[in-house]
Amino acid sequence: MSGTHPKYSSNEGVIDAARAVLGGHLLDAVEAVGEVKLFVAREGVAAALRALRDTPGLAYQQLMEIAGVDYPDRGVERFEVVYCLLSLTRNHRIRVHVRADDVNPVPSVTGLWPVAGWLEREVFDMFGVLFEGNPDLRRILTDYGFRGHPFRKDFPMTGHVEMRYSEEAKRVIYEPVQLAQDFRPFDFMSPWEGAEYVLPGDEKAAGSPVQPGAQTPAPAPAKADDKK
Amino acid sequence: MSQSDVSYHVGTADDPGTVLPPSEADTPVAASDEVAIQNYTINFGPQHPAAHGVLRMVMEMDGEIVERVDPHVGLLHRGTEKLCEYKTYLQALPYFDRLDYCSPMCMEHSYVLAIEKLLGVEVPIRAQYLRVFFAELTRIMNHMLNLGSHVMDVGAMTPNLWLFELREDTMNFYERASGARMHAAFFRPGGVHQDVPLKLLTDIGDWLDKRLPRLFEDAVSLVADNRIFKQRNVDIGTVSRDDAIAWGFSGPMIRAAGVPWDIRKAQPYDVYDRMQFEVPTGTQGDCYDRFMVRVEEVRQSARIMRQCLNEMPEGPIASLDRKVVPPKRGDMKRSMEALIHHFKLYTEGFHVPAGDVYVATESPKGEFGVYLVSDGSNKPYRVKIRPTAFSHLQAMDFMMKGHMLADTTAVLSAIDVVFGECDR
Repeated sequence: MSGTHPKYSSNEGVIDAARAVLGGHLLDAVEAVGEVKLFVAREGVAAALRALRDTPGLAYQQLMEIAGVDYPDRGVERFEVVYCLLSLTRNHRIRVHVRADDVNPVPSVTGLWPVAGWLEREVFDMFGVLFEGNPDLRRILTDYGFRGHPFRKDFPMTGHVEMRYSEEAKRVIYEPVQLAQDFRPFDFMSPWEGAEYVLPGDEKAAGSPVQPGAQTPAPAPAKADDKK
Repeated sequence: MSQSDVSYHVGTADDPGTVLPPSEADTPVAASDEVAIQNYTINFGPQHPAAHGVLRMVMEMDGEIVERVDPHVGLLHRGTEKLCEYKTYLQALPYFDRLDYCSPMCMEHSYVLAIEKLLGVEVPIRAQYLRVFFAELTRIMNHMLNLGSHVMDVGAMTPNLWLFELREDTMNFYERASGARMHAAFFRPGGVHQDVPLKLLTDIGDWLDKRLPRLFEDAVSLVADNRIFKQRNVDIGTVSRDDAIAWGFSGPMIRAAGVPWDIRKAQPYDVYDRMQFEVPTGTQGDCYDRFMVRVEEVRQSARIMRQCLNEMPEGPIASLDRKVVPPKRGDMKRSMEALIHHFKLYTEGFHVPAGDVYVATESPKGEFGVYLVSDGSNKPYRVKIRPTAFSHLQAMDFMMKGHMLADTTAVLSAIDVVFGECDR
C-alpha cells in the first residue's frame, strides 16, 4: 500500500496465526485500511493479550495505547476498549477491540504490562469502564472530585460546572456552567444530503412538525420606510 | 495527605527540642538522645520550575531517599480529544500544535498522516520532503529546549542560554515558513499549507552549516564530559531493556536502554525511507545516556535536513485533489470552480471514509500516536491521542525508588515531559 503513512511489515498470515492462538476468545478478525483488528470477548481479553505477547510467531511485546470509544447507538455494550499493540521484533502493529459496558468490568492487563495501569485509569476516568484487577483505579486526568465521565458522547462539551476564584469566599468555588450564548453545534451538512434539522420555512409544510433544536429564523427587522 | 500525617520531628513528644546555639549544634548528639525519623510526604509541584509545567508529585521520603512517587497529572487537561469531535478535520488540526507546544509540527504530523491514510490521498513529493524537513527542524527545536533545561535542572546555567539562542533561530524559521513562531498549523491533510521561499531554505542551510554546529557543540562540550554533570546523571534512573519494553517506552527513552527502535527507520513515513541517518542507542539506560542520545539525534536531524535541501524537487506542495485540499485564495478570486471548492472546504470540510486507524510517528519525545475513528462525516468521531509522556511519567515511581530527592529533577528532565501533551 503506497501513501504517506508509516509502513510496517505485511499483514499476511497475521489473522490466521492469531486465530490459531486465540481460539474461542476471538470473535472476529478484520483487515481494513491496511490494519489488522481483532475483536475479542471481554472475559478473555487478558488471556488473549498474553497469547499475543508470548507466542513466538506473534510476539507483540509492547502495549502502546488503550483507547476508549463510545458508541451510544450500540445499546448496553456501548463502549469499545481498543488495545494497540506493537511488535518490535516483527515490526508490526495490531489492534484488539473489546466491547464493554459500565457495569461489568474488563479484566485488567496490568499483570502483563505495567504501563496498562495509567492507560486503564484514563479509560475509566473518561468513559466509566471498570477494569478488574487494576490495583489503582483512580481518576487521572479530571479534577479532584469530578463527577461524570466526560468523553462519553452524552456528556456535554461545555461540562456541568465551572470554577472561579470568589473574592467573597476567598477560595475557588464551583458553579453550574452559565453560557453567555447558547451552544451552537454546526454540522455544515448540505440540506440536500441528509441534514437533520428543518430548514426555516419548511415547518409550514403540512405534517412536518418543528423538531427540537432546529434553527429558527430571526424575526424580520421592521422596515425603516414603513412610517413614510 | 493531611497536615497531621506529615511528621518529621527530632526530639520526643515531651521535649519538642530546642534551638541550640551554633557552638553547641556542632557537637555530636549523644547516643542516649532519642531521634525518631518517620517517612514523610512532600509535594513536588504543581508549581515547581523543574516540573516542566504543571506536575504534582506526591513523594514519600525516607530522609532524603525517595520511597514512592505518585505523579498527579491532568492539571493541564483541556479535553482536546472531545473538542476535536466537535470540529471539522481541518479545524481540529491547530489543537495538535497545542499538545506538545515544544515540538508543534511533529504533533500535526501524526494527525495528518492518519487522515491521509483513511482518505487514501496522494501527496506530492515536495510536500513530503517539506514535512520531513520541518519535522526534523522541530526535533532540533525540541531537543534545544530539553537539553538546555536538563543541564539547568542539574545546576548548569550557561548551556541553556546558548541553546535557547538556537531555539530562537528555529522559531524564526517557523515564523518565516508559516507565519507563527510556535503554533504553525503548517502540515495539512494532503500536503503543507504553503510553499516556502527559496531564501528560507538557503538560510536554514547556512544555519545548519555554520551556526548550529558551532553553538551546539560548544554548549554540549561544556557538559558532556563535565564531572559534576556526570555525577548528577550517570547511573540515575536506570531502566533495563526489558523494563523499557514493558513500560511502553519509546523514542530516546527506549533507545537509551539499548533498543535500536526508531519509527522513522522501522516504519518509514513520508520520505524517511530515502534518508540516510543513524539511530543512536545507549548502553546503560540512565539519564546520561538519554541526554547523549538526544545530542546525537540533533546531529542526525541536521544530516537529514541537509539531505532534504539537496534532494527536494520543485512541484506542488499539496495534493491537487480539490475535494480535500482547498485552492489558494488567489485562485479563488479568479475561478468559479475554485470559489466553490474554497467555500465548501472551509465550511463543510471534506468527508473521511468510515473506518479507524492508529498512526504513530516518531515525535522528538517518542511514539506519538493518533487513533482516529471516522464515521464517514466531516468531523472525527473519536480522536484518541497517544501521548509519549504518559507512559514515561508512569514509570517515575520505579525509576525514582531509592534515589535522592535531588535526582528527581534529573530523571524528570531526561523523560522530556511536556504537559500540554501529557494531559491533552
